[in-house]
Amino acid sequence: MSPITAELGKRVNAGAETNAFKCYQCKRCSIGCPVASYGDLHPAQVMRAVQLGDIDAAAASKFIWLCTGCETCTTRCPQGIDIAAVMDELRKIAREEDKVNKDTGFANVLKLNLDSMKRWGRMSEIELVALDKLTRPSSLMADVGLGIKMFGKGKLPIIPGRGDRKQMRRIAAEAERIEAERRRMRRVPIVDKEGGE
Amino acid sequence: MTKLAYYPGCSLHGTSKEMGETAEATAKVFGYELTEIPDWNCCGNTAAHSINRLLADALPANEIAKIKADMQLDTVVVPCAACFSRFMTAKHEMDENPQTRADVELVVGRAVDTDVRVLNLVDMYYDQIGVAAIKDKVRKPLAGLKVAAYYGCLLTRPPKVTLAEDPEYPVHMDEVLAALGAEPVQWSYKTDCCGASLALCEQDMCRDLIRKIVGNARECGADIISAACPLCQVNLDTRQVDIKAADPSWQQVPIVFLSQLVATALGLPASEMGWKRHMVPVPALG
Ligand code: SF4
Ligand code: SF4
Repeated sequence: MSPITAELGKRVNAGAETNAFKCYQCKRCSIGCPVASYGDLHPAQVMRAVQLGDIDAAAASKFIWLCTGCETCTTRCPQGIDIAAVMDELRKIAREEDKVNKDTGFANVLKLNLDSMKRWGRMSEIELVALDKLTRPSSLMADVGLGIKMFGKGKLPIIPGRGDRKQMRRIAAEAERIEAERRRMRRVPIVDKEGGE
Repeated sequence: MTKLAYYPGCSLHGTSKEMGETAEATAKVFGYELTEIPDWNCCGNTAAHSINRLLADALPANEIAKIKADMQLDTVVVPCAACFSRFMTAKHEMDENPQTRADVELVVGRAVDTDVRVLNLVDMYYDQIGVAAIKDKVRKPLAGLKVAAYYGCLLTRPPKVTLAEDPEYPVHMDEVLAALGAEPVQWSYKTDCCGASLALCEQDMCRDLIRKIVGNARECGADIISAACPLCQVNLDTRQVDIKAADPSWQQVPIVFLSQLVATALGLPASEMGWKRHMVPVPALG
C-alpha cells in the first residue's frame, strides 16, 4: 500500500467543496447506497481511501462509475459530507490522472452525452446511443431489441432538438477555460506509490 | 391566464412527450399558461456535473437569468426531476459561495437573479395549484385505483438543495393522488434510485434496481406506479419488457406520469394522454 498522505484528500475537498477528513466510518452512506453491492468498493471504503491518499484504490475504482448520483449518502451523512460530490470529483481526478477504470462504460457515456449537448444545445439520445455503440465494443449488441421497440413508440426522435447553439458553444468554452485554470491553480501533485517520501 | 415560465428539458421534447403535454394541459385547466423559456439549452444533466462543475452551474444559471430579465416572470415549472435538481443546485451553489456566483456570471455574461421559484411537477400541483382546487375540478375520480407514488432520487435529495420537507418519506404526491380520488399505498421504495443514468452501460444492475422498486410496489398492493420524473418513467417502463422476456413469471406494473393521472381525473380526453407510447400497457382508468 502506498504511503499515507493528505494530498488526495485535499484535492478532493477543494473540488467537491466538502471535507472528506471528517468521515468517521459510520457507514450510513454505504447502507443507504442503492449500488453499494455492485462495485469493488462501497462508499465508506472510498472515503477511507481518500483520507489515506490511496489514489489507486479511490480514483481507479469501478465504484465511482457506478454511483448514480442519487444523493442518499449526502442526505444521511452525520458529518455533513457531500459524498456524491466526492464521487464526481474522483471521476475528474481519474480522467486527469489517466486512471479511469476499464471495467465500466459510464465514463464513455458521460463524455458522449456532454459532446452531444455541446453540439446541438440539447442532448440527442439516439446520437448518444449510436456513438456509444461505435466507441465501446461491449455495448454493440446491448438493448438492440428494446431500442427498436422504443423507436417504434416514437420515443427516440431522429432529429435532435436544437437550443441556442451559439450560446451553448460560448458558455461551454468559457466554463472550460475558467474551470481548467482553477483546477490547475489548486492542483497538488499526488505522490506516487514508488516515489513516496 | 397566468403565465409561468416553463423549462421542458430534453426528455419532455423527446422520450417523454406525454409528460410535457399533460403537464401543460392540466395547468391550463387551472388558469396557468406554461410559457417555454426561449431557445433553452440542456441543463447539463449528470454529464456536466461529473466533468465540469462550473459548466454544470452555468447552464441552468443561464436559463434562470432569462426568467426575470427577459421574460419578466418569477416562477418556473421544471417538471423533469433531473433538470429540477440542476436548477436548484445552481441556485444553491451561487447563493452559498460568492466565488461560484462570480465565476458563473462571468461565464453566463450577465448578472443572474436567482430569486426565482423553481417548481417540479409535484410542486406545480401541490404548491401552485393546490390540493383543494384540484379536488374541486375532478370530473372522473380515480376511485379504487391503488397507486404507489414514486418520487425517485432527485426530487427530494439533498434537502439543503431541494428544500423538500420530508426527503426520506415525502407525501405531497400522495396527497395530490388522494385528491384525484385514488388510493395512495404505503411502500418502501418511494425515494430509491432506479439507476436511469446508467441505463446504457449497466443493464444488469438497472434490472435489479427496477425489480426491487416495482416488486415492492406490487407487494404493497399498488395497481400502478405514479412517476414524476421522465427518466424514472422510461427506465421502469421499458426495462420491465426486458425483465419479462428473461423471466416470464414477472408481473408487469404500469408506470404512468402523475400529470397523466391528473389529466384523466380532470376528464381530459384519453386521446391526449399518450397511452400508446407506453411499453407496459396501461388499463383504462377513471
Ligand atoms: S455517512 Fe459520512 S461519516 Fe458515515 S461513513 Fe459515510 S462519509 Fe463517513
Ligand atoms: S450518490 Fe452515489 S454513492 Fe451516494 S448513495 Fe447514491 S449511488 Fe451511492
